Amino acid sequence: MRQPRPSRRLVVAGLLACLAGTAVAGWSQPVATSGGGGAQSAPRRIISLVPALTEMLFAIGAGPQVAAVSSYDTYPAEAATRPRVGALLDPDVERVLSLTPDLVAIYGSQSDLRRQLERAAIPVYEYRHAALPDILLTIRDLGRVTGHAAGAEAVAAGIERDLAAVRARVGTRAPLRTLLVFGREPNALRNIYASGGLGFLHDMLVAAGGVNVFADLKQQSVQATTELLLARAPDVILEVREGPAYSSAQVRQAVADWSRLASVPAVKNGRVHVVSGAGLVVPGPRVAGAVARLARALHPGAFTP
Amino acid sequence: MTTGVRRRMWTVLPLCAAGAVAAIVIAPTVGSTSISLTRAFDTSIPWADNVDAQIFFVARLPRVLAAAVVGATLAASGVVLQALLRNPLATPFTLGVSAGAALGAMIVIAAGLDVGALGVSTVPMASFAGSMGATAIVYWLARSQRRGLSTNVLLLAGVTLNAFFSALIMFVQYLADFTQSFRTLRWLMGDLDVGSYGPLVAAAPFVLLSFAVFAVLPRTLNLLTLGSDVAAARGVDVARAERLAFVSASLATGAAVSLAGPIGFIGIVVPHLVRLLVGADHRVVLPASAFFGAAFLIGCDLVSRTALAPLELPVGIVTAMIGGPFFLWQLVRHS
Amino acid sequence: MLCATDLSFAYDARQPVLAGVSLEVRAGALVGVLGPNGSGKTTLLRLLAGIRRPTSGTVTLDGRPLHAYSRRALAARMAVVPQETHLAFDYSVMEMVLMGRHPHLGVFEVEGPADLAVARDALAATSVAHLENRDFATLSGGEKQRVVIAAALAQATDVLLLDEPTSSLDLGAQLDIAQLLVDLNTTRGVTVVVSTHDLALASGICRELVLLRQGRVQAAGATAEVLTADQVRALYDVDADVHVHPVTGHLSVVPLRRAAR
Repeated sequence: MRQPRPSRRLVVAGLLACLAGTAVAGWSQPVATSGGGGAQSAPRRIISLVPALTEMLFAIGAGPQVAAVSSYDTYPAEAATRPRVGALLDPDVERVLSLTPDLVAIYGSQSDLRRQLERAAIPVYEYRHAALPDILLTIRDLGRVTGHAAGAEAVAAGIERDLAAVRARVGTRAPLRTLLVFGREPNALRNIYASGGLGFLHDMLVAAGGVNVFADLKQQSVQATTELLLARAPDVILEVREGPAYSSAQVRQAVADWSRLASVPAVKNGRVHVVSGAGLVVPGPRVAGAVARLARALHPGAFTP
Repeated sequence: MTTGVRRRMWTVLPLCAAGAVAAIVIAPTVGSTSISLTRAFDTSIPWADNVDAQIFFVARLPRVLAAAVVGATLAASGVVLQALLRNPLATPFTLGVSAGAALGAMIVIAAGLDVGALGVSTVPMASFAGSMGATAIVYWLARSQRRGLSTNVLLLAGVTLNAFFSALIMFVQYLADFTQSFRTLRWLMGDLDVGSYGPLVAAAPFVLLSFAVFAVLPRTLNLLTLGSDVAAARGVDVARAERLAFVSASLATGAAVSLAGPIGFIGIVVPHLVRLLVGADHRVVLPASAFFGAAFLIGCDLVSRTALAPLELPVGIVTAMIGGPFFLWQLVRHS
Repeated sequence: MLCATDLSFAYDARQPVLAGVSLEVRAGALVGVLGPNGSGKTTLLRLLAGIRRPTSGTVTLDGRPLHAYSRRALAARMAVVPQETHLAFDYSVMEMVLMGRHPHLGVFEVEGPADLAVARDALAATSVAHLENRDFATLSGGEKQRVVIAAALAQATDVLLLDEPTSSLDLGAQLDIAQLLVDLNTTRGVTVVVSTHDLALASGICRELVLLRQGRVQAAGATAEVLTADQVRALYDVDADVHVHPVTGHLSVVPLRRAAR
């Protein structure tokens, strides 16, 4: 009885396929994480789990290469059209892998996700949230990694220019001891969270011409108790509300909540301000605009033509 | 010759009351900022300029009073529930009241809702509503028995509701924005910084009503702990007594949790300590626990606002750090 | 004095615990309710004490139905000693006994010297006066039972209902309780109703018996007439020898073997 033997042609084809496979794999060597050497080719399918990085990618011109974004991405409008793959606490690994990215931007703390991506030989860009100067460094670094160095430089330089403009206007003003509040209970002065002496909110405040009343507390957020507020007696209170802009009635209500602390100079002199809107607390390309808004609230006189 | 309980009532209770009053008077004078008491009480200085007075009367005094109210309430509710459930390990939170309060608070914090009304701000309003909702559910479940409140069903219903609400709470936190998630967690650790007398006034009617009921319960509680048959045979309307005990303890706990969040360990450590010192008669234990609870929480709050000055340690952590080792010690002693 | 007419009771509709139970307890009687486990003795006692209301039928005390009395009034007439007392909290013996004074005290009234005297008297009657300041939890089973009886005595009632008072006690303690009940009945004139499945207790101290089987009265009357070998066989499915004991003079029931079916 004759046995069918594998044809020699099939064997050769198989070997060639294996060789081709290794060649292709060799071409997509993992790009080093932030700080590594140059990529051999710019990534063409980028997934970003970090809203700040998403904004940066679109700003530097890498928008067309962005294949998917995080669940919280709303800016720019174009980012909202991309598929969503979760965020810090709940990254959808299957979705990420199924979209075949060649670069995934993740949080530094997402070590599980990072391991899974490395196993799949997908390059990873790690993001660690820090202070204001880091924003500019990250923009430039992203430009290098994605092949949009020129676009990145333009964006970063633009931010530096705008920040310098603000500095010029407010630099000569007397520094105001400011309390920067980024969260509290609605219509009550409880559970107040303010910026401590570290972190990018603090840096924004300094860039806007303010002195943080909690500058000596070396942490990013401080839960301010009534006693602490009365003791520190800020000259200005800035409430930053990320989200939809406040109506004037809402602003009035928010300001009125502080009237209880009658001895605080900010309350006595009517220097409690609410700065509301989108993009105020995102450490990304819109930071200069945010700083400008804070500066206007702090030093209104410096902005009248 | 007077009976033992009469003697104890006349010696122990005034002592405990004096302790509570002393705590209320002394605590506002101590804090993370040094203030001048003479300046604080100097009426010639205009209010808006008198920082010392503001720190004393706006920051500290409402806080100390809140600690007194919450401490007394949680301790007394603990005593009542332990008698009702015939179990010295029961706490004011065993029957789901604080889980309901937590769910109410979480939802409004996470969703950024604003449901304040009648001078009561959003989170306390929502947490009180949640606590009453949980109480109503547990009561309804336990009442389906014909014979008044079945304490077994009460316990099961409470424990089940706790588990269910905890799952809902985790779900809400999962859906919430990251920063709101932290704020909800922070609420769970307890916060006595009420910053004004408004919240105290809002909680007052419920607390006073509950304490009015507590005032007539003690001897009945003694009898209830012997068993419902014996209590009934001695003339106690067991169903009515159990209803009163459950509703008043739940109302008081709901008000306390809405004021300052769920501060744990007071409802179990204080009654336990008091019983070790004065015996088990509820006519002494209930009022003594209320006074002792007030003083205890004032003390814990003092630690919470001075230990890491100028920052604050959540008071629930302080009570846990004292309560946990206390119970371990008790366990070791009795084993 | 205490009269039950055609009592029925069911905790849930499918399983009646008692059906058509009638009995009469005269003042000064010492009645035993005898029956195997699950015959409804505890439920019957609860109905007699007024702790539960029967599904149908009535219980009257001195001719008036129990629900016509206020709880306090009823508690001042009848006291109950439960089968077991498990305490969640550490009361002292004196505190336990003083709690029996509840029906006689106003809402905010604290026990006074008169109440203390009654309590001491009750402790003396049950021979546990020396344990006055001890913690209840530290006592032996027999001592605990005597304290509980003292508490019921402090309630100063005409009627004492006891649910299986000797089932968890050792022989010596059983004898003590039995003697105590007889003394209470004869010297203090307390009407005693005892539920038990212990034939020795029933025949030893009860002058009248009610035999309860599966929620129905099998027989009722004077002990000598009711406690026969046939009745024992019907009640327990056990062949027994029933005779007057030469030493005690009471009926003695000696089980022989399982009854042939």
